[in-house]
Amino acid sequence: MKLQCVSLWLLGTMLILCFVDSRSLRKCLISTDMHHVEESFQEIKRAIQAKDIFPNVTILSTLETLQSIKPLDVCCVTKNLLAFYVDRVFKDHQEPHPQILRKISSIANSFLYMQKTLRQCQEQRQCHCRQEATNVTRVIHDNYDQLEARSAAIKSLGELDVFLAWIDKNHEVTSSA
Amino acid sequence: MLPRLAVLLAALLSLRPGSDAHGTELPSPPSVWFEAEFFHHILHWTPIPNQSESTFYEVELLRYGIEHWKLIPTCGQTLMLSCDLTAVTLDLYHSSGYRARVRAVNSTQHSNWTVTNTRFSVDEVTLTVGSVKLEIHNGLILGRIQPPRPKMAPAGVTYESIFSHFREYEIAIRKVPENFTFTHEKLKHENFSLQTSGEVGEFCIKVKPSISSRTNKGMWSKEECISLTRQYFTVTNIIIIFAFVLLSGALACCLALQLYVRHRRKLPSVLLFKKPSPFILGSQPPCPETQDTIHPLDEEAFLKVSPELRNLDLHGSTDSGFGSNKPSLQTEEPQFLLSDPHPQANRTLGSGEPPELGDSCGSDSSNSTDSGICLQERSLSPGTRPVWEQQVGSDSRDQDDSGIGLVQNSEGQAGDTQGGPALDHSSPPETEVPGEEDPAAVAFRGYLRQTRCTEEKATKTGCLEEESPLTDGLGPKFRACLDDEEGWHPPALAKGYLKQDPLEMTLASSGAPTGQWNQPTEEWSLLALSNCGDLGTSDWSFAHNLASLGCLAAQGGLLGSFNSDLVTLPLISSLHSNE
Repeated sequence: MKLQCVSLWLLGTMLILCFVDSRSLRKCLISTDMHHVEESFQEIKRAIQAKDIFPNVTILSTLETLQSIKPLDVCCVTKNLLAFYVDRVFKDHQEPHPQILRKISSIANSFLYMQKTLRQCQEQRQCHCRQEATNVTRVIHDNYDQLEARSAAIKSLGELDVFLAWIDKNHEVTSSA
Repeated sequence: MLPRLAVLLAALLSLRPGSDAHGTELPSPPSVWFEAEFFHHILHWTPIPNQSESTFYEVELLRYGIEHWKLIPTCGQTLMLSCDLTAVTLDLYHSSGYRARVRAVNSTQHSNWTVTNTRFSVDEVTLTVGSVKLEIHNGLILGRIQPPRPKMAPAGVTYESIFSHFREYEIAIRKVPENFTFTHEKLKHENFSLQTSGEVGEFCIKVKPSISSRTNKGMWSKEECISLTRQYFTVTNIIIIFAFVLLSGALACCLALQLYVRHRRKLPSVLLFKKPSPFILGSQPPCPETQDTIHPLDEEAFLKVSPELRNLDLHGSTDSGFGSNKPSLQTEEPQFLLSDPHPQANRTLGSGEPPELGDSCGSDSSNSTDSGICLQERSLSPGTRPVWEQQVGSDSRDQDDSGIGLVQNSEGQAGDTQGGPALDHSSPPETEVPGEEDPAAVAFRGYLRQTRCTEEKATKTGCLEEESPLTDGLGPKFRACLDDEEGWHPPALAKGYLKQDPLEMTLASSGAPTGQWNQPTEEWSLLALSNCGDLGTSDWSFAHNLASLGCLAAQGGLLGSFNSDLVTLPLISSLHSNE
């Protein structure tokens, strides 16, 4: 009898948690090795950010963007941002230095892996894009378009740490030291 | 010509690079960077070359992506090469970062701005540790790491609140004398304990914090040292010692108690007895001992009986068990032959003569007052068959005792207690007995057939010497020599009869005498002791005696009394006859 009660309790807890988590897809990217990406970025951060000559312009960290996204929209925004980087930023950037190019390539590959993981997660749960998430995505794209492509790409690469920090905060990714 | 040269010179001079009070010819600081710790953000820059005394620097700060450049007034107007921007960058840990720029300014000029290369964000904060506290507890080193607590931090914002997870600390331990360093150990918590496994000495410890989910660099803390000494008086040791003392105390008390309980003490004088208990009934009188006490019986009863018995010719062993010549006497009670008070005389009688049973038994006994049973044998081997002889005891004995005695037919003399060759052997005891009995002859009740053991046999364990107590007071000359069983010794057969206490002697000597008598009884088949034949064994126990008595009783009057070997109670025999 006791065993049955315990198992029922566990099942109920799991259902509740899944219901809660299904909205935010918080646990989709747990297996991703974010630490590797962060380390790679730190090595090229100085070189990339030094080339940014427009400090008072930001693409990702505008006041009303990433900080105010609700858990329900995290899945949609993550999906959109990953697509933004893979489809626009990495393509627009021309890196002359091989070491920096190597790091940027590894970061891009990690993003591709994260997109795949997120897609599998999406198939199990529903990742609806609400209006707010769509709005945020549009603002970012507009910011990117205000600058010249090369400058915008440099700036977006320079703002990768903002994006990675946001993923850590919203997806509860465990880092592997 | 000259004006053209002057103009050319002026142009050249104007093109010369140099300080210009109205221009921006001041060089800008070569580099600007942030050096930040937890809520301690310092902006550094390198000085410009050829710095003059009036040069100062201006700092502007920009919140990345949001605001315009703002001049920081607290950083200007000095020749310092660094400036604390913590107050204006409190939001560092929740924002995207800051950008700062510096330019050199002198009285007339100002340089270009030099901007920090990277966006100043949380990733650029170097992690530090506030303090490390060490203490020793039970041989363990306990450490507590204190995170930094800066003054500039706003209320409620702590190191743990910002870096809530994955805090780690790398620890380095150094033992002072040997200078051995141990590192690469990661601690996951602020509290740690160090087991030194018995080592003593000074230990110096320092830690370096890190966040495993971040790429922040960490800085080694200041070294904290602590000395470990060998402790002998730990709580555990004291408890063990105390328990040991308690246990040993308890053991000592138990031992003392045991010793006290088992200590031999003297008996109270009341309980001391000089003699053994008078209730010992089974013992046979020792061979050489004399018996002092004589228990008086009911003389009257004896008086009644004895005259009757005297008249009877008992030589024929009236007792059926004895096969007496005179069947008429069979119903008679066993008679006890009086021990010869004069053993010497008796000796002569039976010394050399082979026992020939005949009717002489009765003839000789007529003299004695006691009526005894005379066992007769038709065919006798010389010297083999003891003959029951009525023996005449001393006058003193005549009246009351009724004893059973073996009388040698051949002897057949009155007054001679010992008969036959057996008398030879028994003579010595005879001599002893009567001699001794004289003084005690007053009130004897019965006669113990005394068997004279051969000297060899006397020494044997079968002797009754062991059982002294009983025989003391009685005619102890009776010697139970169990060895006689093998070969009967006609001389061993008692020639004389000792005055015996019917109560005691019967019991005492029943064992031994019966043993002695076994052979003769069997041979003669006169005695119906076959059933009781075993009673005469060496066992001198009281039980045997009683059993023998029982046997005797079963047999009937004469037989019963005879069986007891001398000690049978004449009273009993008389009673039987009466019944």
